[in-house]
Amino acid sequence: MKKVQIASSSIQDNAKIGNALLENFSQPTTLLSGGLLFLVALCAIFAPLIAPTNPYNLAVVSIMDSRLAPGEEMFDGTVAWLGTDGAGRDILSAILFGLRTSLIVAVCSALIALIIGLLVGLIAAFFGGRTDTFLMRIVDIQLSFPAILVALVLLAVLGKGIDKVIIALVIVQWAIYARTVRATAIVERRKEYIEAATCLRLSNFRIIWKHLLPNSISPLIVLATLQTAHSISIEATLSFLGVGVPITEPSLGSLISNGFDYILSGAYWITLFPGIMLLATVAAINIFGDRLRVLLNPRLSK
Amino acid sequence: MLAFVIKRVIQSIVVLFIMSLIVFSMINLVGDPVDMLVNPESLPEEIDRVRRDFGLDQPVHVQYWKFLTGAISGDLGNSFIFGRPALALIAERFPATLELATCALILAVSVGLPLGIYAGLNPDGWGARIIMGGSVLGISIPTFWLGLMMIIIFSVFLGWLPVSGRGDTANFLGIESSIFTLDGLRHLILPAINLSLFKISIVIRLTRAGVEEVMALDFIKFARARGLSSQRIIRAHLLPNILIPIITVLAIEFGTLIAFATVTESVFAWPGVGKLVIDAIVNLDRPIVVAYLLFVVTLFLILNLIVDIIYAALDPRVRLQGDRQ
Repeated sequence: MKKVQIASSSIQDNAKIGNALLENFSQPTTLLSGGLLFLVALCAIFAPLIAPTNPYNLAVVSIMDSRLAPGEEMFDGTVAWLGTDGAGRDILSAILFGLRTSLIVAVCSALIALIIGLLVGLIAAFFGGRTDTFLMRIVDIQLSFPAILVALVLLAVLGKGIDKVIIALVIVQWAIYARTVRATAIVERRKEYIEAATCLRLSNFRIIWKHLLPNSISPLIVLATLQTAHSISIEATLSFLGVGVPITEPSLGSLISNGFDYILSGAYWITLFPGIMLLATVAAINIFGDRLRVLLNPRLSK
Repeated sequence: MLAFVIKRVIQSIVVLFIMSLIVFSMINLVGDPVDMLVNPESLPEEIDRVRRDFGLDQPVHVQYWKFLTGAISGDLGNSFIFGRPALALIAERFPATLELATCALILAVSVGLPLGIYAGLNPDGWGARIIMGGSVLGISIPTFWLGLMMIIIFSVFLGWLPVSGRGDTANFLGIESSIFTLDGLRHLILPAINLSLFKISIVIRLTRAGVEEVMALDFIKFARARGLSSQRIIRAHLLPNILIPIITVLAIEFGTLIAFATVTESVFAWPGVGKLVIDAIVNLDRPIVVAYLLFVVTLFLILNLIVDIIYAALDPRVRLQGDRQ
């Protein structure tokens, strides 16, 4: 009987969420940011297909094309709509490929950090007591240092490379997920269904996996969205500082960094366009995440 | 309170010790600083001599023990590149960073607070929408890219402001700063704005959220019913209530400003600690990296402690861990 009730109430909830979703998605800000996000994702996924040239193919890239202004024609006749950089790479193509690198790093690190944070948060909330105090103390210490600094030092130690940037971003981010999950899970932990499950002598693993996890995961959706934007930003900053992704496989950050050397000679396009792409991506994710938060938090959507 | 402070100080020392151990052992895994120090054409004997001089021929635990015994007496080792005590180099560069961070913080509060209050009081107006839209943009815009764009616009195309450096400094009341000379100010303005923009956005959002929350409470309604002017309601009833969370957040944000100054300093070639440590990372100047890190960790531990104490002092409902009564 009780199960039926729970099920029906969750159906109602789903319907409510569905309505709210529709209402929310019809707002221009959400549509715009969502659309932009979708477009950015498409660009990143299909970069090799839509890019006019392959910026990694050294046979195609020619130094003769170096520092062409936007709209000028390259040596082989292709038009460089956004200009070329110092090595003669087409900026538009470089941006598309760079976007891909940036997104891979951000999404991978957000996912891995989410899984680690989820586990730590659930374990802390479920076992409580000393385990909880110990784990949350580590989280507190970790979160009291700014992400950029921790990542900078980690990369100084780990060296360059995409995998290393991902590791650094995971270490920087897991704690925030852990804290959020624990806050929700500790409330769920005290509810009757967990007590009931304990009385049935279900294993701890099963209770955590089947009961605690599904009920604690929803606040993470928004957090993961916003954190992805954050990690794109951090990765770009690290690459700009020269400790992130190596120049052989440039992300948006390293493209901008590359253009730094040319700004005094007036070749603004090498830094301007990758930066606009970066800004558009991060802003779209932030706005979308913000709408999502308003939507999922009943206290905020009056 | 005392029990809490003592507990936290002990905890901080443990954190510092563990951090030093981790950083020191890990940093010894990457690269060989000797390669950066000697001429590539040097003889093997020469390379060995340099290695011995810096104590790099010894095993890591011996090096760490030497570092630890030195650190207790306040000596964090000499920079490989400059050949001078790392701590002295940091102390020398720190005022420039502090100056930049302080200016950015002042800018963040003096711009962010009024805008946030305005947006909170007129939430549906066009002004509020523009302000909030701007704050999303401010949070999303990467600091370093904005810095580059500022250089392109104000220095390269318009030629109004200098590109890099700190400019002339002057001494006033014992403080050496570039605020006191016109040239120094011209150098300071771009980096300070660049560093503060992210914080302005955060202050706007925090303030607006606080204003909206407080304005809906009963005591504001009663103040209105008493016929107080809206000026007075804002100053006497609204501000004190929204300032507590803002002050505590800002104290922590000040620490992140110093960390983020690394980025701004690299863009504008501002001669602060951030620039020093980025160069040290690139040049494998280990003592500087380790010293900077311990310095910043200490700074953060102190800031966090102060924040907790301020918070408990401002809000009597908060009880500190370790207080048993």
